[in-house]
Amino acid sequence: MATANPISDVTPPLAQAGTDLLVLLAPMPLDQLEIVLANLTASFQAESLLIATPDTPSTETHPALRIIAAPATNASWTFTASDFVNAYQLAQKNEARAILMLGPGSASLASPSLSKLANAVLATPTDIAVPRYDMSPRAGLINSAILYPLTRALFASRARFPLAIDLGLSLRMAERLAAAAQRFTSLNQSDAIIWPIDEAAVAGFTVQEFDVGPRVSPQPAETDLNAILARVTGSLFAEIDAKAAFWQRSRPLPPARNSVLHPSTTDAAADGAPAIGPMLEAFRLAYTNLREIWSLVLPPNSLLGLKRLSATEAADFRMPDNLWARIVFDFLLAYRLRTINRGHLLGALIPLYLAWVASHINVSASGVNPEDHIEGVAAAFEAEKPYLVSRWRWPDRFNP
Amino acid sequence: MRYALATILQSVTDQAPQPVYVDNGSIWHHMSDALHQSLYRVLSLLIAILPGILAFFVALAIFTLIGMALSAVLRRVLTWIKFDDRLARDRVNGDWAPSTAPSELVARISFWACILLGLIIGVSAFDASYATAATLPISLLPYLTHAVGAIFLLIAGNLVARFLARSVLIGAVNAQLQYARFLSLGVKWLVLVLTAAMVLDHLQVGGNVVELAFGILFGGIVLTLALAVGLGSRDLVSRSLESRSERSSDHMAPPATPNAGTGDSIRHF
Repeated sequence: MATANPISDVTPPLAQAGTDLLVLLAPMPLDQLEIVLANLTASFQAESLLIATPDTPSTETHPALRIIAAPATNASWTFTASDFVNAYQLAQKNEARAILMLGPGSASLASPSLSKLANAVLATPTDIAVPRYDMSPRAGLINSAILYPLTRALFASRARFPLAIDLGLSLRMAERLAAAAQRFTSLNQSDAIIWPIDEAAVAGFTVQEFDVGPRVSPQPAETDLNAILARVTGSLFAEIDAKAAFWQRSRPLPPARNSVLHPSTTDAAADGAPAIGPMLEAFRLAYTNLREIWSLVLPPNSLLGLKRLSATEAADFRMPDNLWARIVFDFLLAYRLRTINRGHLLGALIPLYLAWVASHINVSASGVNPEDHIEGVAAAFEAEKPYLVSRWRWPDRFNP
Repeated sequence: MRYALATILQSVTDQAPQPVYVDNGSIWHHMSDALHQSLYRVLSLLIAILPGILAFFVALAIFTLIGMALSAVLRRVLTWIKFDDRLARDRVNGDWAPSTAPSELVARISFWACILLGLIIGVSAFDASYATAATLPISLLPYLTHAVGAIFLLIAGNLVARFLARSVLIGAVNAQLQYARFLSLGVKWLVLVLTAAMVLDHLQVGGNVVELAFGILFGGIVLTLALAVGLGSRDLVSRSLESRSERSSDHMAPPATPNAGTGDSIRHF
């Protein structure tokens, strides 16, 4: 992954590129849409833009913009398979050279951020430009605990948000994603989750990450953690299963880029830490009741680690990074082997995830930068990758 | 065969030492007749059953072959139409996700259904063949067919009980209910009792006693659970619900809150 400029750098407007950019917008309220259009107008020349939106904005405020209707989708918090198919079809139809996909709540993105994402795929040989959001250390925890470390360890990508909701895509990347999405839409599963970073890694395409500052993150419609975790983690596990031939080979991780320090990260760490009591209570209750199910999935070493954790006081509660990595890998393996019903499996992961969250909050409260902790977790996933590969290849033979 | 046996017995009597009394000859004759008739009856019975047994094995073999062929064809067709993807991709959190690949499951079910069909047809053929030739009533055969059904009921009931117990246990633990295991056990035993009653009813064992006992037992378990949760654990339930609602407001920020994550709130997404 190439190194990107920090957000403070001024990116030249698209006028220099002089090419068509298709901007596909997710459904959003009209006031937010107006802000996005204003940001786009400020960043790009109107004639080089083609905006596709399922909403109907007022043409009077931005008369120079070319706005076309995009098929309505149900992208409430992330892009789905049908969005990627629509994006590529619209780009082909209008002969666009690149695509900028902006998810719900993209009005909170600064104008230079949009320029960076678009110019990366237009003016450089980058195939996919992904944003790095400046989020609170207590937000996006499923991403920090599972999605980012797994993607980094298995697909050798440092993209901090593998499921980013704003993307710059080259035409060939859009074609590849549309082909992947087509497999779902043809099965009448248009709301399936697509993993752009994994697709780019398998195709050998160039990924570039940019700091885009803070962003309002839309939330899934389901407020139930069980449903969210099962859907997202299950989708990633299925993706990893499908691409096993790729990730089992060892690949070097690109060097880390120099990211700007996120002010909110350190500020938030100084706030009062949320109570971890309920999460620990959930974990201990699960340890009492779900040991039998966990023992079908986890090896004795991990069970011993969990036993020790269940007896730890709240103040000292720390889940070792390698233990968490092995737990996730073992659940991934059980998902592949169908050791138990997949719904049950992902349900049994929830208390363990809550234990990781409690540990993360404790670590952050002790003065460690949360981002450093997350990077440490990701490094532990990388270090434990041989364990996953061994168990993946010989599940019965290798069970420490 | 009758002649051969008579000849053998005659030769045996010929070679035997001479009897002291004249009446011995008629005793041996009577005994040989009786033995001969018994042997004849056994052999006749065996000969009458043989076509039935042959029909049973032929039916079983044919349906096993059909099952193998059907299973292989189904496996290929389902793989070709990406049946697993259709089911699994978007239904990852479905409670009915099977433990094996769905296409494999369908193929196996079709194979075993054919075996079962072969068994049923084989037993029917055996029954028909035997009934026409038999002189004695056979009461075991219909019972055998009921027993096969009862075994299937028992297996299915156990599977359902285990699945539901695990679902309830995980759901209750994630809902942080302290009596998760109790609930899970309650559900498991309800299903097992129901299964046992169905099996006994299917076997026609016990008659009305089973129905009555099942009604009392099932109603008793449900009433016990209702009383325990509704009256005995009233405080516990209210405390659990209160603490759960507090926890929800603590660490599950509403989806629309844009700045959640600061302060005390936690956002999983």
